[in-house]
Amino acid sequence: MRLISLIVSAAVLATGLTVSAPVVAEDLTIKLWSRADRSGPLRAGNIVDAADQFNNFLAATGSDKRVVIELIETNYKGFDADALGLLKAHSVGDTPDIVVAAHEWIGAFVDAGLAANLESHIEGNPNLYGDIIPQLWDSVRYKGERYGIPQDSEVRMFFLNNDMMRAAGKSDEFIASLPEEVNAGNFTMDDFCDLAAEVKNSGASEIGFVHRPNVGPDFQMAMAAFGIDLYNDEEAKLQITRSGLQRYYQWLADCVEKGALPADMTTYSWDSVHAAFRGEKAMSKFHGVWNLGAQLEAFGIDPLDSEAYFNKITWINAPAGEKGGQPKNLSHPIVYVVADTPNKELAAMLVGLASQPIPNTRHAVGTNHTPINYSQAAMPEFQSKGWGLVAGVPLLQYAEFMPNHTRIGQYNAITYQGVQAVETGEMGAEEAAEWVVEELEVELGDDLIILD
Amino acid sequence: MMHKQRQRQAVNALIFLGPACIFLLVLLVAPIIVDLVVAFTDMAQTVRVSEFSNEQFRKIIRPNEDTWLGFELRGSFYRALAKTAIFVVFTLTIFNVTFGLLLALTTTALPDWLGGTFRAIWLLPRMSPSVVYALLWIWVIDPTERGLLNQVLINVFGFGPINLFIDHPMAIIVVANGFIGASIGMLILTSAIRSIPQHLFFAARADGAGPLSIVRHIILPTLRWPLSYITVFQSLALMVSFEYIFLIMGPARSTMTMAMLAYTKTLAPQIGSGQYAYGAAITLILIIIGVIVALLLYRLTNMKRLLAKPRIEVH
Repeated sequence: MRLISLIVSAAVLATGLTVSAPVVAEDLTIKLWSRADRSGPLRAGNIVDAADQFNNFLAATGSDKRVVIELIETNYKGFDADALGLLKAHSVGDTPDIVVAAHEWIGAFVDAGLAANLESHIEGNPNLYGDIIPQLWDSVRYKGERYGIPQDSEVRMFFLNNDMMRAAGKSDEFIASLPEEVNAGNFTMDDFCDLAAEVKNSGASEIGFVHRPNVGPDFQMAMAAFGIDLYNDEEAKLQITRSGLQRYYQWLADCVEKGALPADMTTYSWDSVHAAFRGEKAMSKFHGVWNLGAQLEAFGIDPLDSEAYFNKITWINAPAGEKGGQPKNLSHPIVYVVADTPNKELAAMLVGLASQPIPNTRHAVGTNHTPINYSQAAMPEFQSKGWGLVAGVPLLQYAEFMPNHTRIGQYNAITYQGVQAVETGEMGAEEAAEWVVEELEVELGDDLIILD
Repeated sequence: MMHKQRQRQAVNALIFLGPACIFLLVLLVAPIIVDLVVAFTDMAQTVRVSEFSNEQFRKIIRPNEDTWLGFELRGSFYRALAKTAIFVVFTLTIFNVTFGLLLALTTTALPDWLGGTFRAIWLLPRMSPSVVYALLWIWVIDPTERGLLNQVLINVFGFGPINLFIDHPMAIIVVANGFIGASIGMLILTSAIRSIPQHLFFAARADGAGPLSIVRHIILPTLRWPLSYITVFQSLALMVSFEYIFLIMGPARSTMTMAMLAYTKTLAPQIGSGQYAYGAAITLILIIIGVIVALLLYRLTNMKRLLAKPRIEVH
């Protein structure tokens, strides 16, 4: 009997402890879902600050209402796993009010009835959103409507080591002309490959160039350069072309053949990829602007000395696949999504406040991300510490985004299998393209348009 | 009186068998039923079911009039099946059985303290966290000259660096899993060898038997049942094992076994996962193969006799 009463009292105690403190009637609780991410703690922090600001407004009106942020900090590895976790929580009715997410998940969030349409909120509050870099809005559109607010942006491009090019006999004029030549469509992907091979074969570098060793968005800029338009916005379907895919795989195979790209690239660890470029073994690498900090440290350059950095490193967009074509780069913004809950109006206002130049600059400069508002680039903090990011802003005009489609992750995973197959020599470009298209067709079914 | 006793018996049965039955139902039977149902839906990232269909199985097989069954396996699934077979057969025969047996024989032949030390060393990989074990492997086989194996090859033997990830990916997962699997075989077989009455060894030696004939005529016959057990149990365990494959190789095409395929399509981070129904369909096929293999091995190794009641009790 004593045992039973002990168990009962323990159970009562346990449930009593899990119930949070009694809610004061005037508290307006907003649930914020965010990954615990050391590379961007202010993504959530700026919303908390926005709530403080909002409470000042409320206090000024004499209201005794108060906004309280309940932070749901998750431990998922990466934004994809986090988004899947969120969708599971949403499916059992556990929906937060604001979500920090990678933009390509917006399609899935809309389909699941999670994301609220923000068109009228954005249009109705021009003073909050009027300065946002227009291209960034594309990252939150799904079927033509906006379902999120860009939280940060970044540019991904090709980094080239000038010292190695000089050691291989390339003139300073040639190096300085590269960005322009790329933008004009004169310097193509094949030229890039030849350049990397030439530098490597001259002995100036051990490796030509490196790319990411796993599935991810970076490949999209190379695919886009070969004319693969991944997304049909009107029909909200993913797209592929056999010919484009084949040219893209052929380019990779050629790069391996010429010695510009290691055949075992896809077996590298991230550490080895970073070490290859930062340790001055590889002439080039394609990745994102946030690498700047680590590069400055590795090359021993003063973080405020932009001249020394650009004397050593050149940035170019992903060159066009063919002469005269368009160069490409990729931006992968993180976004705030407002969930379709009864609190959505208030939640959207908090997001609006968090997206203002001052809080956003605190995040962007601290984590090496390009700004979301044009005016941020003129701010003193950006000018002194964020010169690399300011330099990245012009690249944004060539930016492509990952499609906001539910199945882009699957699409990327399958096309990456083709990259593995051609680089390791398991398949030829034509065979790999055929195989990848079949896999895409089987797995994506109606969500895919095969253009040729 | 009789009635009360019977009632008491029923209550006792419930108390003693209840927890085990609940465990069986909730943790073993229910997941299979859930898997069976989910496999015939279209559940994906949004965790919603909008229709029941055999759509997932169409991703695995395609109709082909020319074949005997009227369908054939799709390339990636066929590959996964073949890789699973290679992985299970090699890991099992080379390491879990042969190497486990060798370890048990050698460590029991050594003095106790030395044998115990070796066995403890072989248990280390089993005891260390899988992530640590995998990280060590990744460092050992790193394809650059930073890898331990390449350092040895270059500095000791004067060879060039090798890249096992590209040249022998299956060997990596066989060896990495085998080093861990061998310890289980070693433990079971050691205890079986230990349970052989000492007087048999003395008698054999008195009759002039050498170490090899002792192994052949006394030890091996007693190990028949433990060996069958290890074979059946470990082949099923290996078939569904993907932990070390994923940690060491990631979602590489070259080591995409069935279990890895199911994992990458459903729960693995960052590689197109979230296709729950597709993963369930793959898992369902894996379960069916597992049942067939288990029954086959049960028959081949005559496990029935092992599990049957002994005809005489010897004390």
